[in-house]
Amino acid sequence: MSVQARAAARTPATQRRGAGGGLGRRRSRRRTKELFWAAVFLLPALIAIVSMRIAPTVSAAVSSLHQGFPGGVLAAEFSGLANYSELFGNDMFRDTVIRTIVFNVIINPLQVAIALIISVLLTRKIVAPNLWRMLVFVPATVPIVGSSIVWGIAFRQDGPINAILAALGGNPQPFLTSPSQAMASIMVVISWIGIGYWMLFLVSGLQSIPDEYLEAAKLDRAGTIRTFFSITIPLLKRPLLFVLVADTVANFVLFVPIQMLTNGGPQNSTTMQMFNAYRTTYTYSSKNLGAAEVMILTVIMLAFVALQFRLLREDRPTRRKR
Amino acid sequence: MSAPASLRRRSRLERRSPLLTIGAVLVAMIFILPAVWLLVGSLRPSAEIFSSISPLSWRILIPSSVSLDNYIALLTGPFGRAMGVSLLVCFLTVALGLVMSATAAYALAVLQFPGRSVVFAFVVISFMVPFDAIAIPLSQLFTGWGLTNTIMGLVLPGIGNGLAIFNLRQYFLSIPTSYREAATIDGASEPRVLASVYTPLGGTALANSALLIFLGQWTAYLWPLLVVSEARLQVAPVALARTFGEHEFNFGENFAGAVLLSLVPALTMFILQRSFGGLALATGEK
Repeated sequence: MSVQARAAARTPATQRRGAGGGLGRRRSRRRTKELFWAAVFLLPALIAIVSMRIAPTVSAAVSSLHQGFPGGVLAAEFSGLANYSELFGNDMFRDTVIRTIVFNVIINPLQVAIALIISVLLTRKIVAPNLWRMLVFVPATVPIVGSSIVWGIAFRQDGPINAILAALGGNPQPFLTSPSQAMASIMVVISWIGIGYWMLFLVSGLQSIPDEYLEAAKLDRAGTIRTFFSITIPLLKRPLLFVLVADTVANFVLFVPIQMLTNGGPQNSTTMQMFNAYRTTYTYSSKNLGAAEVMILTVIMLAFVALQFRLLREDRPTRRKR
Repeated sequence: MSAPASLRRRSRLERRSPLLTIGAVLVAMIFILPAVWLLVGSLRPSAEIFSSISPLSWRILIPSSVSLDNYIALLTGPFGRAMGVSLLVCFLTVALGLVMSATAAYALAVLQFPGRSVVFAFVVISFMVPFDAIAIPLSQLFTGWGLTNTIMGLVLPGIGNGLAIFNLRQYFLSIPTSYREAATIDGASEPRVLASVYTPLGGTALANSALLIFLGQWTAYLWPLLVVSEARLQVAPVALARTFGEHEFNFGENFAGAVLLSLVPALTMFILQRSFGGLALATGEK
């Protein structure tokens, strides 16, 4: 009885849908309705993009073409590319750009390579692989402010790293207070956090490689190294590309350990573009010059990302599953 | 069902290399020891952090006495307030961010309109460009909009997350369209379909997106530094960095602050991972 009642109640709906005459009009009304809701639903996201991504980019671009007194007492005047030519004529800024590029050329491949070696080790036949993976990942859960504090104290003259060096018979090192060691010390700090995080992506990439490929290589008597470079690396291209690009983007805007540990020093040896743009804008109150520095940083970073896409997208297998 | 079991048995029979295991242990120790030192340091008096170092002994990782004094001193001071501000900012961001991501993802996955794939690409790509690169010019716009030194000023930049929208869209695409058709025939409007059909089914993807938004906001440092100058609105990472920079160092409290900052993400991940596991099982059986 109730089933019949429900069926009867549903009949009008079915008829409505099946009716031939008003179908076109109803479909277009339905489409208008969907368009309306799509607009309503996308509105918050689009407002966020326009106000918080596009507006600052445009304002930085416009601001970089103006010059004004530091502190902004008088209105800034349009000056074309004067800020850019001033920056590139400045030795210190050129050094900062070169330092940023060298830093990224070293740190990104290095971190990805170490993360890859650790991932390979931790996916081999070992006792309790999950435990070791978890221990390597733990530093990634420490926010960068916390990691900077730990390493800032560890690298002190009277800190544990120097105590270990002394116990091994070495001399104490200045680390963060030495122009020649400060950058390497910062690299240690960010690698401690980053490597465990990137390792997770590479471990899951390694685990998704079918055993058959490795067995086939074994049957063909390929050695471990040959198998690694001819089978593992090509099949791992997608996660490798993702990790390399994400790592590069993160390291180009590196700021926290530099501000907390060295403040760009000693002798500017750790001043990189992000910190420099912050210092120009807020410490020296040169808002227009700072905007030009932000634009240059963004362009160089995007160029690097585009280059990495090219490098890793090339010579992919021609026959791909569609 | 029998295939995974036999695979597991085979891998258990395969010989595990002791040499590689030793390598794995060494690598794990390099990564975990600084974290252990941090945890131990937060539980002992500041003076002992350095007295345990020279001469180097096992005392460096084993405190002579364990106390929560550092935590108590820290939480009753300005840092306790900063933790409260951080939590408030995070929860507001997650709430607003989930609504924004879910509605956008629903429109991009379910609704039919011209140019849908172009809008999708635009939304995701524009959120993928690193926020820090435009934080400085944006903070100047926020000054003009009167949003500096406000909670909303801290919250707003965190609500847009391209990865969250992407994840939710992928998940919504996997929900059979017949569910929505059935709800529409029953007279449900689009917001109703999203709220009572897609949201309850999207548990895993929603939790994942909430985690992304939460962690992004919890660890944020540069943006709060730029947009907040008043002490009463200071978030935890900035407050901690300030005490670290002071001349009068208190290493024990610095360590305790770093542990508290790490504890929240670690616990969140642990809890969500457990609920992920349960959810994955439930949907897998369908």
